[in-house]
Amino acid sequence: MTETSRIRNFCIIAHIDHGKSTLADRLLELTHAVADRDMREQYLDKMDLERERGITIKAQAVRLTHQAGGQTYELNLIDTPGHVDFTYEVSRSLAACEGAVLLVDAAQGIEAQTLANFHLARDAGLVILPVLNKIDLPAADVEGTAAELAELVGCERDDVLAVSGKTGEGVTALLETVIAKVPPPEGSRSDPLRALIFDSSFDTYRGVIAYVRVKDGVLRTRAKLHAAAARMDWEAEEAGVFAPEAVPVAELGPGEVGYLVTGLKDVHQVKVGDTITSQGRDRAHEPLPGYREPKPMVWSGLFPAEGGDYGALRDALDRLKLNDAALVFEPETSGALGFGFRCGFLGLLHMDIVKERLEREFGLELIATAPNVEFHVVRGDETIVVHNPSEMPHAGTYDRVEEPMVLATIITPSDFLGAVLELCQGRRGEMVDMKYLSTTRVEVHYHLPLAEIIFDFFDQLKSKTRGYASLDYESWGYEASELVRVDVLLHGEPVDAFSSVVHRDKAASYGRAMVERLRELIPRQLFDVAIQASIGSRIVARETVKAKRKDVLAKCYGGDITRKRKLLEQQKKGKARLRRVGRVDVPQEAFIAALRVDQGERR
Amino acid sequence: MSAGIYVHVPFCLTRCGYCDFNAYAGLDHLRPRYVRALLAEASLAAAAWDGEEVVSVFLGGGTPTTLDAADLKAVLVHLRERFAVTHDAEVTIEANPDTVDAPKLTALLESGFERLSMGAQSFDTAVLASLERVHGPDAVRRAMAAAREAGHANVSLDLIYGAQGESLASWERTLREAIALAPEHVSAYALTVEPSTPLGRQIALGARPAPDPDLQADMFGLACQLLGEAGYGHYEVSNWARPGFECRHNLGYWERRPYLGLGAGAHSYRDDRRWWNVRPPEDYLRQVEAGRVPIGGEERLEPSDAYLEEVFLRLRILEGIPSSWVEPQTAAPFLESGLLRRADDALVPTERGMLLLNELVLALAG
Repeated sequence: MTETSRIRNFCIIAHIDHGKSTLADRLLELTHAVADRDMREQYLDKMDLERERGITIKAQAVRLTHQAGGQTYELNLIDTPGHVDFTYEVSRSLAACEGAVLLVDAAQGIEAQTLANFHLARDAGLVILPVLNKIDLPAADVEGTAAELAELVGCERDDVLAVSGKTGEGVTALLETVIAKVPPPEGSRSDPLRALIFDSSFDTYRGVIAYVRVKDGVLRTRAKLHAAAARMDWEAEEAGVFAPEAVPVAELGPGEVGYLVTGLKDVHQVKVGDTITSQGRDRAHEPLPGYREPKPMVWSGLFPAEGGDYGALRDALDRLKLNDAALVFEPETSGALGFGFRCGFLGLLHMDIVKERLEREFGLELIATAPNVEFHVVRGDETIVVHNPSEMPHAGTYDRVEEPMVLATIITPSDFLGAVLELCQGRRGEMVDMKYLSTTRVEVHYHLPLAEIIFDFFDQLKSKTRGYASLDYESWGYEASELVRVDVLLHGEPVDAFSSVVHRDKAASYGRAMVERLRELIPRQLFDVAIQASIGSRIVARETVKAKRKDVLAKCYGGDITRKRKLLEQQKKGKARLRRVGRVDVPQEAFIAALRVDQGERR
Repeated sequence: MSAGIYVHVPFCLTRCGYCDFNAYAGLDHLRPRYVRALLAEASLAAAAWDGEEVVSVFLGGGTPTTLDAADLKAVLVHLRERFAVTHDAEVTIEANPDTVDAPKLTALLESGFERLSMGAQSFDTAVLASLERVHGPDAVRRAMAAAREAGHANVSLDLIYGAQGESLASWERTLREAIALAPEHVSAYALTVEPSTPLGRQIALGARPAPDPDLQADMFGLACQLLGEAGYGHYEVSNWARPGFECRHNLGYWERRPYLGLGAGAHSYRDDRRWWNVRPPEDYLRQVEAGRVPIGGEERLEPSDAYLEEVFLRLRILEGIPSSWVEPQTAAPFLESGLLRRADDALVPTERGMLLLNELVLALAG
């Protein structure tokens, strides 16, 4: 156990691609945490998925030791997820720190995500160390970006450090600054135990692993523990630290960061943000502040592409849920897609990750409905929560519908300001304020419906600003809105999977677009197929897929008979992959293509 | 059971862009060896077909008429020696208008080729060009006249519709020209794009448009109408004939009677076994010259395969399938929508049904 005076707990806040993982690699090397021969790039991003996407999903805490002024310091580097989907997780990681390195790419400048996490860190009372990265790049604008950063943090230009994660330049100075400026943790060994769970993961052999920061008291291996929010009693099978591989320790004292092997089999019993204390009379009276239940923001129906895989999908979701406390799902039966699950996600990235893991790790082929937000339908004193557009009641049966709003922060080069404002206005946005970060960069705040953001907003923003703008957002409550449900009918039968809730002003054009898209995707049948979009009983768009007239092999002689029979057998197999909606056969691919939201890389 | 013999001649003057048959231009030097090999293969195969009555012989290709009349005659004489070819057997040879003249047509008739199947394809110069056929419409008229003059009394014309550049009006002209020549038999095929052909590749690359299936459907309707009015009976999806002139050999395929195929890539069928010769002419020659049966592969039809073929072929020749083969509720929607009709105790495709035959087969046999 280390004296609190020689402990520093800090994290690195950075926008995607601003070099956080590379800097972490240098810190590991410089503190000899990893032997040279074991070093690999992005050491801390363990999962394959993380490595490929270059992002960090799970927080990690690494203990580094560093000598300075004749003393040995214990530095706990707490890695935080950088994506807007995981704001709550970020806030819990920040709560485990006393300081934050605000890392900005000297060639890119401050981005929206940097800003959002900076505000979170400042609100959490952390000491902020502004650092420029990638100063070795020819395009680096060290002076300009340093000025921007000093202005944001409210410090002197000289307080802004400059490093290169790639070459290692300035990294030793950074470590020394962390020791000098980040305050040591407070907390007393003699107080009742209070430790914050800031993340968790699931290990097949050892059960749930909790990542903890001890605030008060001492957390010992074999201690009998109580989790306040989960109201669970369990025993610490093992306490340890990541250095960076797991190393068991006898105890974690105040201010220390490490892991706990809980032996529990369900990650839901170990909630991020929960407080761990002792059982019995040593129990702390007040849990640590800030806990909340994970709240899904985006919903989508997931269905097995091949009919029979429902059980496999359920098992896979159950397995994923073991180490993803934010994932929620409930069975859903779709007239068009059969048995599946309506799943709730923290955001689009979270949704993509879950879908990708289901497909990659469990080998499932999925059809996902277009993502939607949670609507509140108010009728008198009653509020109905709707997660599925096809369950949205029709207009006239309720008083109002409310939809979730966000406060979006967009940073863009001023050249593209017009395009950004136009995009936001077009998405029912209301500008809150706007300020120039420098003569060439603008920060804009907008109130936007979340529903407008989860479609192709981010892609549009990137394409309209040649990739330069960045976006972050936070929840901003619910507001009443003129929303209507648009249904799509095939040959007179509504197809639940295609229902959507959209703003009244956009409903007709949405319906038209959907109908036109489907007209291209639905193969000709033996009869004319009407494709219609309706709002209530009013048809707002209609297209027809004309009946197929010719499907016959022209020639069939001698040797051809074998080949023609095989063609027919192939055609038969193709038919087996069709889903029947009423009388209409719809290929799987049509569902996938019609429901796809082209988001490109969402980050 | 009355069998047929098919003889494949893989030589062509040129290769047409749409054709995926086992046919080659520029292999003319192989012709003498090939004729000898055909004779040798027939001798090898004959024992197994001993006692099987052969009611039709069909020389197809490629272009069989690229062979000399004497060689063709030798082949036919040899077959008659080795097999129980009946005396009134139907003996057909495919002829390309450019490879026949009056003396050759006379020689063919005298040798016993009493049925002539002429690859006319179209009477529209632009359509012929788009099909990469080397002959013009006049060549067809001349060849037809020469055939009649030589005494040929059983001539079939092959037509293709739906090629790039063909309109309903030009197809109508082609049909009327064909009818005016008064052949005994007409085959009219919708142009089918095979991916492995130059045409297929051009379409896949977007360099040429794919045939429009709706236009082809209209063209089929027009063929049914005009040929019907001219007294031709529609007896298979793509075949029409004056009464009594239906092609016995081809009916053999569709009625699932046995057939022996001789020559490169030719298929044979007997007792639910189908086998085929190696395709490349050189390979075929080497095998036969070494005294081996030049077999390239075979399949044994499972009962389910055989059933699918039976249904599919019976529907093609408008014989239809017995009502008892199909659950009434399966057939009902097709009877209602007019794709099937009831004839005595059989379910028979209507004209519209013929165009959607694949759908019908899958629904009724699937």
